[in-house]
Amino acid sequence: MPLFTKQKEEVPCTVEVSHRFESLHAHVRFDNGAVVHPGDEVLVHGAPVMAAYGEVVTAQRIATITRASALERWWTRLTGDLDFMELCEFSFSDELDNHSPARAGRQGVAA
Amino acid sequence: MKDLSDTTHGELHAELSDRFDTTAMATETTLLNPRFYTTDFDEMDRIDVTPVREAWDTLLGQMKSDPNKGHFKKTADWDKVDWDGMDPALRVEFIDFLVSSCTAEFSGCVLYKEMKRRGSNADICELFNYMARDEARHAGFINDALREAGVAVNLGFLTKAKKYTYFRPKFIYYATYLSEKIGYARYITIFRHLEANPDQRFHPIFKWFREWCNDEFSHGEAFALLMRTDPKLTTSFVNKLWIRFFLTAVYSTMWVRDHARVEFHKALGVDIDWYDQEVYRKTSAIARQVFPVELDIDHPRWIPLLRRMNDAMLDMERGKKAGGVGGWLKHKTASARAMLAFAGLYLIPVKKTVPPANVRMEPSY
Repeated sequence: MPLFTKQKEEVPCTVEVSHRFESLHAHVRFDNGAVVHPGDEVLVHGAPVMAAYGEVVTAQRIATITRASALERWWTRLTGDLDFMELCEFSFSDELDNHSPARAGRQGVAA
Repeated sequence: MKDLSDTTHGELHAELSDRFDTTAMATETTLLNPRFYTTDFDEMDRIDVTPVREAWDTLLGQMKSDPNKGHFKKTADWDKVDWDGMDPALRVEFIDFLVSSCTAEFSGCVLYKEMKRRGSNADICELFNYMARDEARHAGFINDALREAGVAVNLGFLTKAKKYTYFRPKFIYYATYLSEKIGYARYITIFRHLEANPDQRFHPIFKWFREWCNDEFSHGEAFALLMRTDPKLTTSFVNKLWIRFFLTAVYSTMWVRDHARVEFHKALGVDIDWYDQEVYRKTSAIARQVFPVELDIDHPRWIPLLRRMNDAMLDMERGKKAGGVGGWLKHKTASARAMLAFAGLYLIPVKKTVPPANVRMEPSY
């Protein structure tokens, strides 16, 4: 693995998006068994996979995995832990003032 | 990676409203944007639940039987919600509450599913499978409440570039254990309060909180058992410092976030200081099952430091919004104040406890 440079690979993947009352979820599975490591970036190509309400949509797509350099992987391993606050329901957003104009992007994780 | 905040609400809505969720007559679109994690999957595969096998099998059996399968359905108890008549400020905060809860459940689902898929340890995979199921179900339920409010949740995030961040397995245990247990304490405290004050229940979703939080409770139980499989996780000097750090960070963040939702708590008739202290108290009492240290939330410095931290965070926000050199300076000094307040909270002497021989608990609040 190169110390500074990034390598890209194209992999086939299956995207499943469920927009049902019983289950709201969305997952990507790499069909060739590719494994993602700390600091890697994944981009699924094509238009957003959309499921109308009540639907489950499965799509075959190509994804580009941009492998992190050794340095970046090391750095992500070292610092990624500090993002743990996103695992809490009450801490997903930077915004403390709720009365500002509506926001489009949200980040966060885990209940 | 393209920052999603580049896309305005309006653009997104225009882009998506034709082909996405038209039945809901969505007037707003919220793009869910969970983060993606990776961890040391080999280490997780090496977990051996033998030391807690009996309790593990009982808990997993319970999860397999899926006691809440029928719970997340709209029944006659789901009263009509008067979204148009709702105070606009309350509506904003309540929607924010629902979206953050939905994001949290959804992201939990993504994380657990990933762990299930990547792992090869049958015990661990089975656990994460059930947890992913529960979280997706909760997310679907909240999503439905959002649809009623005219808010469409967009799951198109998968086609945006996603960077995978890293969590050490033990941090996943500490953080998810705490977030599941604190989630339980938050839901049950609101549920009990509204049980006593039904006139303040301004939305039917709160009626579902009791069974809902039992899922959170049992997820937390599973992580408590996992931590028991390796005593070092909760007994070594360094790990005890980490546990203390996680407790301080989670509690203080909750304080800051809750105090930003003034209208929401006012509508529920809940005093935020009281509510947060109550949630800490319940969470701490539960966490004695596995953590050897407990924060002293009755210490005279506790609440003053939380307030200082909140003030500093608000000033950071104001500085960021103001921009320019003055704003930058304000942001930096406020961020130093926030860190000092955090250090002060961290350094309040902790109470030492001795976790019981039998780790398992049942929800009792």
